[in-house]
Amino acid sequence: MTTFLTNVFAGLALGSTYALVALGFVVIYKSTGVINFAQGGLLALGAYLGYTFADNLAIAFAVSILLACAAAAIVGASVERLVLRRMVGQPPFAVIMITIGLLFVIEPLITAIWGFDNLPLANPWNIQTVEVGGLVLGVRDLWTIGITAAVVVAFFLFFRYTRMGLAMRATAFDPEAALAQGISARRVYATSWAIAAALAALAGITLAAGPGGLSPSISFIALAAFPAMILGGLDSPAGAVLGGVIIGLAEALTRGYQDQLFSWAGANVSLIVPYLLMIVILLIRPYGLLGTKDVRRI
Amino acid sequence: MTRKIAALALGLTLVLAACGGAGEDDDGGGGSAGAPGNTAGFDGKTIKLGVLTPLSGTVAVIGQPLTAGNEVWFEALNAKGGVAGKYKVELVQEDTQYKTDIAVQKYNKIKSDVVAFTQVLGTAPTLAVLPQLKTDKILAAPASLDALWVREENLLPVGGPYQVQAINAMEYHFTDGGGTTSDRICTMIQDDVYGEAGQQGIDFAAEKYGFTVTNTQKFKVGTENYAGQIGALAGAGCQVVFLVATPSDAAKIWGTAAQARFAPQWFGQSPSYTGALAKSAVAPYMQQSVLIVSEGTEWGDNSVPGMTQMVADATQYASDQEPDYYFAFGYNQARAMTAVLEKAVELGDLSREGILRASNELDTVTFDGLTGDYRYGATEDRNPPRSSTVFKVDPSKPFGLAKVKYNFSSDAAKEFEFKKADL
Repeated sequence: MTTFLTNVFAGLALGSTYALVALGFVVIYKSTGVINFAQGGLLALGAYLGYTFADNLAIAFAVSILLACAAAAIVGASVERLVLRRMVGQPPFAVIMITIGLLFVIEPLITAIWGFDNLPLANPWNIQTVEVGGLVLGVRDLWTIGITAAVVVAFFLFFRYTRMGLAMRATAFDPEAALAQGISARRVYATSWAIAAALAALAGITLAAGPGGLSPSISFIALAAFPAMILGGLDSPAGAVLGGVIIGLAEALTRGYQDQLFSWAGANVSLIVPYLLMIVILLIRPYGLLGTKDVRRI
Repeated sequence: MTRKIAALALGLTLVLAACGGAGEDDDGGGGSAGAPGNTAGFDGKTIKLGVLTPLSGTVAVIGQPLTAGNEVWFEALNAKGGVAGKYKVELVQEDTQYKTDIAVQKYNKIKSDVVAFTQVLGTAPTLAVLPQLKTDKILAAPASLDALWVREENLLPVGGPYQVQAINAMEYHFTDGGGTTSDRICTMIQDDVYGEAGQQGIDFAAEKYGFTVTNTQKFKVGTENYAGQIGALAGAGCQVVFLVATPSDAAKIWGTAAQARFAPQWFGQSPSYTGALAKSAVAPYMQQSVLIVSEGTEWGDNSVPGMTQMVADATQYASDQEPDYYFAFGYNQARAMTAVLEKAVELGDLSREGILRASNELDTVTFDGLTGDYRYGATEDRNPPRSSTVFKVDPSKPFGLAKVKYNFSSDAAKEFEFKKADL
């Protein structure tokens, strides 16, 4: 039972990170209809900014997180303002290609500033653990789960009760009608990018606070979170969180029971499972678990 | 009279042959014993050597210090006059980004400008350029301890291959570590050629010492969460785990093990470690539970002549160089290539064929204790060093490693046969 609970906990922690990344994907897709492939780059940039605040400037870790998220948000909004705004009305394919291009610009920029070395991010979690009922839990993992839960609640409140949240929902539902009501699509797009970048920074810092430290390859996690976004539904924030948790649990449990149940399928079956799950769910529900079905007149 | 003419002709032929053809060899490279003639990468004064290494990208943390080791060796050599005391060496460096397609592209870009490659970093880039090295008859020194290179004529490896490290780790465990063959010995390896090399060594040791590998966990590079693998190792009751990883993954693996309070005796294959780990949050756990199997001695150990000289050279020619295992590897590589070049100059031929011939005629190259001596020569006669050094993690030491048992060779490692692979 302890083994099972340990694996479930590991899955929840991993899934929470996936959820944060997937949420960033969804926020931009929901308001602009574009899948942002630069999300991994923003994640890495946010993590390195966190390192600069916490280590180079010796600012308290909690404050460093907030500063990194704010700085990443400014970068995200600036990218939208300087690059993507010019692409409004252009085919989504062209915009997606721009986000891919941005990823390839951000990565060398990061290495030019911070280098290639593994950097240890000063943080209060590290490899600290707490014991709960015989179960040893990583403090960083607990914080990752807690932060994700808080972000989900904040998201719900933001979309439900704020003017900008309402504007974003309206723009996502019908951009032209929203415009007719005086909602600024430009502000909505810029806000989406800012939120997505801040989420990416948060995910990046929680990852970098682990024993592996910080290296440019941290951006690869965005690819692993991709099935979570698809599985949950491209336009559903709740789906992103659900998808992240499902993928994290599936990966951790498959890995944990590899020897007993999946040895016949090779050593890395846990890495295939998220994609298998994604395929199966898309076959049953092409718009993902909580995605909106696109209705078209024929 | 006829006999006298014949004797004179024979004598003249021998003299000409002995004098060699400095500057007389149309296809470049010179003759057999005089000053070598001009050839691709050699203008009569300077010998140019290629370096294919990741100077950017995630593996640059290895490529940069390793290339610095190459540079420092040759700068020190040039200060003494160069190869054979008269030919300076110049490096032509190209960034491969650790990508095979770029490695091949960069190889083709500079192959006509160099006499040989003193560094091709990584197993995959080396495999990628090997077919062309064979076609072009060029010698290259791989920066990789893969056993595949031992029997390849176009490659000039240094150091004991990974299999030797794994076997010697088990020797240490049974002789100095207080272990017995009934211990539950496990492995955790990268799911690639590098991981398989370590596993091959452990499997060989299992056969020789008579123990069973209780559990093996494989993982893909860049895995984010290792709780499953660590749980499986703990569940199997592993008392010893041999780890084959690179530092970023090793940090996560040992961090996860520390969190799970799983503390077997870990042995890390040399590339699992980097100095940054000794300053990380995982360091206290590593001090208690981790030993690193590598070569040579700790940085700054003046009891080893090679180390004293290397640190002196590093201080003089790269004063900002941090203590680094990969720097020493690059320094050793350059030393092996210098031995080949000295031989080629002795034979009077720095052409590609001449350098391959020199490599074939090379004998044992000593590294003054920085790594084990390597018996070169014809590929079938090559004998890599069978020695390893076991280190413990000690943050107070440069590079964070203190030697525990220096430069020892097990009988089992000596028995390991390196076979020619079909590459």
